[in-house]
Amino acid sequence: MAGYKPVAIQTYPILGEKITQDTLYWNNYKTPVQIKEFGAVSKVDFSPQPPYNYAVTASSRIHIYGRYSQEPIKTFSRFKDTAYCATFRQDGRLLVAGSEDGGVQLFDISGRAPLRQFEGHTKAVHTVDFTADKYHVVSGADDYTVKLWDIPNSKEILTFKEHSDYVRCGCASKLNPDLFITGSYDHTVKMFDARTSESVLCVEHGQPVESVLLFPSGGLLVSAGGRYVKVWDMLKGGQLLVSLKNHHKTVTCLCLSSSGQRLLSGSLDRKVKVYSTTSYKVVHSFDYAASILSLALAHEDETIVVGMTNGILSVKHRKSEAKKESLPRRRRPAYRTFIKGKNYMKQRDDILINRPAKKHLELYDRDLKHFRISKALDRVLDPTCTIKTPEITVSIIKELNRRGVLANALAGRDEKEISHVLNFLIRNLSQPRFAPVLINAAEIIIDIYLPVIGQSPVVDKKFLVLQGLVEKEIDYQRELLETLGMMDMLFATMRRKEGTSVLEHTSDGFPENKKIES
Amino acid sequence: MAAGGGGSCDPLAPAGVPCAFSPHSQAYFALASTDGHLRVWETANNRLHQEYVPSAHLSGTCTCLAWAPARLQAKESPQRKKRKSEAVGMSNQTDLLALGTAVGSILLYSTVKGELHSKLISGGHDNRVNCIQWHQDSGCLYSCSDDKHIVEWNVQTCKVKCKWKGDNSSVSSLCISPDGKMLLSAGRTIKLWVLETKEVYRHFTGHATPVSSLMFTTIRPPNESQPFDGITGLYFLSGAVHDRLLNVWQVRSENKEKSAVMSFTVTDEPVYIDLTLSENKEEPVKLAVVCRDGQVHLFEHILNGYCKKPLTSNCTIQIATPGKGKKSTPKPIPILAAGFCSDKMSLLLVYGSWFQPTIERVALNSREPHMCLVRDISNCWAPKVETAITKVRTPVMNSEAKVLVPGIPGHHAAIKPAPPQTEQVETKRKSGGNEVSIEERLGAMDIDTHKKGKEDLQTNSFPVLLTQGLESNDFEILNKVLQTRNVNLIKKTVLRMPLHTIIPLLQELTKRLQGHPNSAVLMVQWLKCVLTVHASYLSTLPDLVPQLGTLYQLMESRVKTFQKLSHLHGKLILLITQVTASEKTKGATSPGQKAKLVYEEESSEEESDDEIADKDSEDNWDEDEEESESEKDEDVEEEDEDAEGKDEENGEDRDTASEKELNGDSDLDPENESEEE
Repeated sequence: MAGYKPVAIQTYPILGEKITQDTLYWNNYKTPVQIKEFGAVSKVDFSPQPPYNYAVTASSRIHIYGRYSQEPIKTFSRFKDTAYCATFRQDGRLLVAGSEDGGVQLFDISGRAPLRQFEGHTKAVHTVDFTADKYHVVSGADDYTVKLWDIPNSKEILTFKEHSDYVRCGCASKLNPDLFITGSYDHTVKMFDARTSESVLCVEHGQPVESVLLFPSGGLLVSAGGRYVKVWDMLKGGQLLVSLKNHHKTVTCLCLSSSGQRLLSGSLDRKVKVYSTTSYKVVHSFDYAASILSLALAHEDETIVVGMTNGILSVKHRKSEAKKESLPRRRRPAYRTFIKGKNYMKQRDDILINRPAKKHLELYDRDLKHFRISKALDRVLDPTCTIKTPEITVSIIKELNRRGVLANALAGRDEKEISHVLNFLIRNLSQPRFAPVLINAAEIIIDIYLPVIGQSPVVDKKFLVLQGLVEKEIDYQRELLETLGMMDMLFATMRRKEGTSVLEHTSDGFPENKKIES
Repeated sequence: MAAGGGGSCDPLAPAGVPCAFSPHSQAYFALASTDGHLRVWETANNRLHQEYVPSAHLSGTCTCLAWAPARLQAKESPQRKKRKSEAVGMSNQTDLLALGTAVGSILLYSTVKGELHSKLISGGHDNRVNCIQWHQDSGCLYSCSDDKHIVEWNVQTCKVKCKWKGDNSSVSSLCISPDGKMLLSAGRTIKLWVLETKEVYRHFTGHATPVSSLMFTTIRPPNESQPFDGITGLYFLSGAVHDRLLNVWQVRSENKEKSAVMSFTVTDEPVYIDLTLSENKEEPVKLAVVCRDGQVHLFEHILNGYCKKPLTSNCTIQIATPGKGKKSTPKPIPILAAGFCSDKMSLLLVYGSWFQPTIERVALNSREPHMCLVRDISNCWAPKVETAITKVRTPVMNSEAKVLVPGIPGHHAAIKPAPPQTEQVETKRKSGGNEVSIEERLGAMDIDTHKKGKEDLQTNSFPVLLTQGLESNDFEILNKVLQTRNVNLIKKTVLRMPLHTIIPLLQELTKRLQGHPNSAVLMVQWLKCVLTVHASYLSTLPDLVPQLGTLYQLMESRVKTFQKLSHLHGKLILLITQVTASEKTKGATSPGQKAKLVYEEESSEEESDDEIADKDSEDNWDEDEEESESEKDEDVEEEDEDAEGKDEENGEDRDTASEKELNGDSDLDPENESEEE
């Protein structure tokens, strides 16, 4: 029994953006929930403890949102002026915030009035953070100073006056209770040690620093300012590891993913970029409606919260994976039914006769096998097939052409069917991978239907469109030919210098092209 | 003052432009646009009534305006009385319009005369005027300013009657009580003054940001049990900058309750508020609030004591454009102002752009919670671009409108410019103290601030945009730049591109060359430009071949089909001309017959050719062929004339070839059928 050989469907590389693990991961979020705040959202901070609430600082208020609530579950509004940088303590029970009038206020999450007020800064305090021992607060202000406060007796412990411009960002080390870092508009990032009275390290960022971030290990420091994000190695005394320039406006905020494998940066150019921390390449990017001022990721990257200049807070939740489980599972035959008898070991005297495995044929293959060529063509000209998998349609057309029956298959169609075919041609004729086959098919169609042309306005219109398309493609190719001439000139100038390499290249080029064509 | 913070410098500037409906009949709508022009529109037919350009409109922009109450225009300034009593006849018309400017002067403009009536400068404010209120009957004018003072003016003598300090920071809003004996002022707190003694009667606190609007909502107290002393028991309304809540307060006899009795919540900061006063207990107050996001919220509420939760609107009105075609989505049109008509049942909406607003009367239907009106403003929305920098311009308007140009400079502008207003929004976070302006600091640090708007693309911004797009791989920006058709622009852009972006640009072009010919043609233009402009640079690259190799291969493989395509194109042209020709013959039959006669001989020749090839199918084809061939031959003639050299080489002989094929196909037909069966 001579087996039927199914039509080989050519596979082509998928054009367009590559799907990586990262795009899958970062696209797996629901459509964002948008919450309108009272002013530009300058800071978002997640509580490190469950239930992972987050504090949003906007205008003169701090709102605390729960994981799924769109209404604030708590509000701190006792600020006389704009509040800044509301940050949770490591245990999630205290919250500290700076203010435009120079005050630093400490709140209990369950309370309403501030527990402590640290007075001492003369200008707006834009950054505050808790140190690793939980009992101190670091603050940086527009009066160029950085202060360390003691929580129990609300006293100022130390003041550093090393910056020569506004101090706008900072963070404390998660491991060492004495270390903290501040970034300033004087283009520097300084590391301070509370045991000494001056900075222990200073790196020059080159732009006013808008945000700093310390890796959990404390070994790497990330600073953002201007259009640059820079990564510094602290253990080597502040050596610049990488400088990233992927935004076209000022980068305003930084954030690490929970695994520590990805770095996120938000910018005034309305984009959030995700970098891999091993290669420092952009692996994904998000678009937002307005300039981004603040960005935070929840525990396990469950939620991405982004605050923008127009006062809108965008909250994206990760799609839950439990949903697929909940679908009623169809009962399938057990595994042993499939392997029944397959694992029988051959004894010495047995003669094993294999039953040929039943070949599964596609529907069009079945038609082709039985020489129903028109039907096979009909099947692959179905809109679902032509749009989703045009390569199958093209392969069938090619196969029919090889058999020499393409004309027969195309003949004898009514207005509707022929317009289907023409539609397909119009859609795919300009694609270089399909062009040779389809041009041939188009010529055959014209030859067949020449006598009846002019009878159906629909088909005539289709022909007109096709003609327009072909004309454009020809113009385009003519332009390309001219450009090729230019490039030949360029390569020729190269050849004078290093004659061999070009020759090799062109000889490489041809066989490849032939492969594509065939 | 440091406590003022970032918000105090321009409370409403980016959102609202000073505008007002004329009182009582709402016949006119006055609008002082940001370019310094005062325009008065007729609300009934949406026409420009008058336009006036104050002589110092650039240095002292108009910050607020107020119509005089209708009764006032009978009283005139002393100089005018001497001359003529021309204004006697128009007793029912509103006339005076008070304009406050950013430099502290107040102008009185007469719409009847169409010129500046008088100006109030001496002894007044020395900073931006924030609000002006006319007293209902005494002919007084009250104004408040950033210089913390409230001034009472005598309009007839143009002199200051009284000036007192109203607050510790700038006073942003004023309102006069319905009986005319009290004045509300708002700075950091809301104060109620007794006008006779200028003493504070009550304090109200509650807004975190500067109060931008104040209004009395009732003229009688709700409970009539107590004797009414003119103020106690009245409600008033306040809105603040960056605040989505409008608070309602009650003036109480006892001084203990200081917070708001209720509040209305809206979607964005309010920019224009209008209301109908409730005259008795049962009638609800109707409130129309225009928000910064261009929506109007309508509230209808009987003010009756304390309410804990903020009230939401009964009705929201939005305006959008009709979507043209399938793909374009309707765009929202911002509503700029809204005013209740005197019958309280319909609303005048002002929408569109500030330069050419459309005014429309809309009947209210309180039952629907949401109204979306579809309006097409594309035909009337034509912002004129004026390049000549002249102080006074003649605007485009209809013939009935008067053009008013002040002969003598109206008032003296101080040299101090108005504070920059637009840039503040974006850099709100960074706005620090007052010692050095952020602009100077940025200038000193020499950072390139990319403030190029995406909407107004210019030649010089193209290279910057393209570089940005390539660096951040921004699809939108790249699309915007690369899809230009202007060859000149492309050339200039490529010339100005920095060298290190050339290779990324080529890579981007390589990606885009693979698409549909429609868009790919544009990319070829770019590619050609890059190759011609930067040829020398490219040829010096050591790794040119690996860089451009893929591009070269890609183009080469695409060009492979050129010959076949040209062939197909020739066929198609023939086909199309045939179709059009057949359409022509449908209209006129006689020339078709002629053609048949002429070419019969030739067709028979061809048939003889075909006879060699096949004989079976001839009877099938006879009828069709004769017709089609005669038509076709006609076309061949035409074709040769029309399309000149385009496909001369394969004109006739191809035609015959196709004929052969065609007959061959028909030959196969019976086979085909048998196969299928």
